[in-house]
Amino acid sequence: MLSTMPIIAASKVDEIAGKFGLAWGKFFAQVIIFWIVFMVLKKFAFGPILAMLEQRRQRIADGEAKLEKIARDLAEAEKNAKNLLDKANDDAARLIKEAGDSAKSLAEKRQQEAIHEANQIIAKAREAAQLEHEQLMSQLKREFGRMVADATSRVTGKVLNSDDQSRINQETAAQVSL
Amino acid sequence: MLANVSPKAAEMGLFSFLTNSVIVALCVLGIVFFFSKKATTNMTLVPHKAQNLFEFLVEFLYGRVEGIVGVKQAKLAFPLLGTLFIYILTSNWFGLIPGVGTIGFGHAEGFLTLDPAHLEPLLRPPTADLNATIGLALSSFLVWLFLTIKEVGVWGFIVHTFGPKGGLKGVMGIAVAIVFLFVGVIEIVSIAIRPVTLSIRLFGNIFAGENVLHTMSDLLNNQGPIVSFLGSIALPLPFYFMELLVGLLQAVVFTLLCSVYIQLSTTHDDHGHEEGGDHHH
Repeated sequence: MLSTMPIIAASKVDEIAGKFGLAWGKFFAQVIIFWIVFMVLKKFAFGPILAMLEQRRQRIADGEAKLEKIARDLAEAEKNAKNLLDKANDDAARLIKEAGDSAKSLAEKRQQEAIHEANQIIAKAREAAQLEHEQLMSQLKREFGRMVADATSRVTGKVLNSDDQSRINQETAAQVSL
Repeated sequence: MLANVSPKAAEMGLFSFLTNSVIVALCVLGIVFFFSKKATTNMTLVPHKAQNLFEFLVEFLYGRVEGIVGVKQAKLAFPLLGTLFIYILTSNWFGLIPGVGTIGFGHAEGFLTLDPAHLEPLLRPPTADLNATIGLALSSFLVWLFLTIKEVGVWGFIVHTFGPKGGLKGVMGIAVAIVFLFVGVIEIVSIAIRPVTLSIRLFGNIFAGENVLHTMSDLLNNQGPIVSFLGSIALPLPFYFMELLVGLLQAVVFTLLCSVYIQLSTTHDDHGHEEGGDHHH
């Protein structure tokens, strides 16, 4: 009985194959067409498209990396700019303070110089006034001596010589003290 | 009654292998070639329409495959799995084009009408031909075998299949080893019948869909010419939408199962893989 089983099974397989039209030629034709589709898709679709997707993914990743770097650089630049501004503000404040101090000191110096100059001018003016006063007094004495001599000559009716005039002038000047 | 559609593809005369399903398979090849060439000609970083569509499809499929088989295996397995999905989907939907399965040769019954019982359609989707579905299943099986041996080796595969798990020693270890040896035999049987289940599932669904559409179209054939005409349009219409869904679903199921088979056999033991959930869908 066992020996008949493979024969029965084989006949069943043949029956099923016949019913469903199974045949090696048809089977291989289908397999070959499928593998041609496989090669077509692999060559013309999957390969280029996966490469393109990878390229795009890489570009996006690069873009993201660049964006992060730009953000980092921007933050760094902002930090640097802030530091520079702070430093500039400090420098400016220091310079203004120094300029203020310097201006104050210069003003005081200029004021002292002006005072000194004014004092010098006053002293000079005083000296000039004193000198002028003395000149005027000397001129007045001489005029007064001449008037005394003139009056003496008129009173006495005597013509005074130069020695008399000189003596009268000296006596008058000695008598007049202003 | 499923007598309207023959379970076997009709020979077209010139050669025995040139059947109506082979003609459609060639059409599918032409469609795939045309669109893939169109999509990848003058590719740019900012994609044009055809490129955008294919990129979406490939990226979506690759993501799903990668999620199942892992990053390493995805690079190797994706071309096959992607091709399976696109080929099966295109074939399934090709069968829904009006005229496919209904225009052909046979005994004239009336004006432009053939006897449905003896109709030899000019076109038949390859997925409704058992030769094609067995071819797809065996191709997947060979690629699965190649990837498995490449990843874990012959000895690794044997250990993976028959080796005891759990690390028990002594008498319990021996008992567990015997159990796992038996489980390994069952596993080998389940692996061996995978091509059968894959091919028959796909063939059965698409063939049944064709039969449903034919049956619904012919349901009112004896009710007069006008009712028959209207019935042949209205009655199969809802089933066209169902068949659209079935066509997509079968493509997904076939591809998904192949991915799972690859994942199960290429996962190393130290990653924790107990594959009890596989088998027999």
